Amino acid sequence: MSHFLQLLFTGIGIGAVYALVALGFVLIFRATNVVNFAQGEFSMVAAFLMVVCAVDLELPYWLSFLIALGGMALVGAIFNLGVYYPLRHRTFLPVIISTIGASIFLANTTLAIYGPQPQVLPGWFETPGFQVGPVYLDSQYLLIIAVTVVLVAFQYWFFEHTLLGKKLQATSQDKEMASLLGIPVARMIMITFIYSALIGGIAGILVAPILFVSIQMGSSIALKAFAATIIGGFGDVAGAIIGGVALGIIETFGAAYISVPYKDGFAFFVLILFLIFRPQGIFGERVAEKA
Amino acid sequence: MTITRRGFSAALAAGVAMPAVLREALGQSNTLKVGMVLPASGPAADSGKYALTGAKIALERVNKAGGVLSRQVELITEDDQTTNPGAVLAFSKLAAQPDIVAFIGSIRSTQNHAMAPDILKTAKPVCFGGTDPQLTKLGNPWLFRFRPNDSYSGRVIAAYGAETLAKKNWAIVHSTDAFGTSGGKALTDSLGKFGAKVVIDQGYPNQSQDFTAVVLAIKQSGADVIGSYFTFENDLGIFARQLRQLGVTVPWVGSPSITTATAIKLAGPALYGTFGVADYAEESSPEAKEFAGLYRKAASTEPDNFGSWTYDAIGVLCAAINKAGSTDPNKIRDAILATKGYKGAEGEYNFDQYGDGLHGYNIVRNEKGKVIFDKHIEFDD
Repeated sequence: MSHFLQLLFTGIGIGAVYALVALGFVLIFRATNVVNFAQGEFSMVAAFLMVVCAVDLELPYWLSFLIALGGMALVGAIFNLGVYYPLRHRTFLPVIISTIGASIFLANTTLAIYGPQPQVLPGWFETPGFQVGPVYLDSQYLLIIAVTVVLVAFQYWFFEHTLLGKKLQATSQDKEMASLLGIPVARMIMITFIYSALIGGIAGILVAPILFVSIQMGSSIALKAFAATIIGGFGDVAGAIIGGVALGIIETFGAAYISVPYKDGFAFFVLILFLIFRPQGIFGERVAEKA
Repeated sequence: MTITRRGFSAALAAGVAMPAVLREALGQSNTLKVGMVLPASGPAADSGKYALTGAKIALERVNKAGGVLSRQVELITEDDQTTNPGAVLAFSKLAAQPDIVAFIGSIRSTQNHAMAPDILKTAKPVCFGGTDPQLTKLGNPWLFRFRPNDSYSGRVIAAYGAETLAKKNWAIVHSTDAFGTSGGKALTDSLGKFGAKVVIDQGYPNQSQDFTAVVLAIKQSGADVIGSYFTFENDLGIFARQLRQLGVTVPWVGSPSITTATAIKLAGPALYGTFGVADYAEESSPEAKEFAGLYRKAASTEPDNFGSWTYDAIGVLCAAINKAGSTDPNKIRDAILATKGYKGAEGEYNFDQYGDGLHGYNIVRNEKGKVIFDKHIEFDD
């Protein structure tokens, strides 16, 4: 039983990271109908910004966090202007290729600037964790779970109860109609990219003390987050969260009770099952081709 | 004289191309080229940087002493992207340059396996650092190993854990790639000879983000010692931290990755008190100390085996070409195989018929983040 609880805690913690990155995927997909394959690199860039501020420059942690988020807002804005905006009238394929290119560019630019050595980022709290009965609770994982819950609640409130949120929703549902109603579509998409970069950045900063900061940290998380998005239903916020957490739990328990070497296999096995039997995901609606 | 458009274009093209042509022509006659496959991107990019530093230190020393066959030696590098296809591509790019006389291969066994068929076709000596014992037994005469292979590391880990530490119930944790699998097997084979048994053998995929399942399995198995073969330091770091968090405190004897500067930095206190087999240990010989001094001058990181093996490889290779008196691949091959008693940073090189240069390992322990040399164990066979 103690092992079960320990695995459950870790599974939810890892799953929350996937969920945060998946959230970024979903937001951009809803706003632009394309998958942003550089979402994982947002996490990596933010983690490196954090290392530069908190470790190299020895700034206070909270200040470093704010600077890193400011940097990510800038990255999101430049990303929109450079990667998405020039291709906005094209089909989804050139945009996807453009995001893949951007992902390679971000990874290699960071490599060129910072060098290849993996870095250590201290956690937010002094205490690494504490023992509750038979279960060890890593304080960083607790923080990740708490932040995920808060962000999901914020997102729900923002999209359902604020005018800006509703404008963003309208933009994602039908750009032409939104534009006719006087909603500045380009600005809405800009806000979406900035918000996604911030969420991706927060995920990266939160997970960095556990997985270390390295150039490829983003891509390995993003791959799982992408799977989580499909399992949850592409374009659905609740789906991304549940898909992410489910994936974390499945792979942790799969590793413990079936096989560690095939750990990554479980995640993608579930993904394949979903693609075959329920391609719209848990929460997705079956979309008929428009006539 | 009138300047025609065609004449102008031709002159411009010639002007642009001339520096490259000259460089090619002069380079051909002046320098002796050695190709090097190393990770400049991907998960092991940091180790590539250390490997290059080690090679460059050795090169500088060789060139200062007059070079090889009265020519300066030049290193031509290609990025293997830390992947097998990347390594094959990098090697084929280098192999296509006919003036490269020999190569420095990878420290990762799996990549050397991937390159081996092309190495056989190229038929020029390749010095490598991968430790899978099979690599020098593939029937490929062009592979020369500059680190002790895992049949030795397995024996040293087993000997130290089972005899010196007197622990008989082993948990073996290893990567599921070629290096980790062969290392785990070598350790299992050796433990039998010391009357110890493996209570759990746990493979894991590289770039795992979580080791909770592995740690809990070790806890449950009742193992009183851990032997490990980790390929990447970030995996090792995550495992080490989770091991301590979940309360496992049994002794741990690891393969060389546990002693590298990156692992010690990432895992921090989680590795205090662990033991490791290390092909490079600063205190093990005067040559190792000398290398450490040179390395610290050239780089901001601590010296470790990533830099020491390439340092030795360049040293032995250049000495062998000088002795061969020619760049003929067969003559260089014979000269490397004839190398006996070469004192390098990793130890004394005595090449056997298979192309293995080293036949022993150092045991080191991590004392609050400092690597302390304990003893060297050498084998005759």
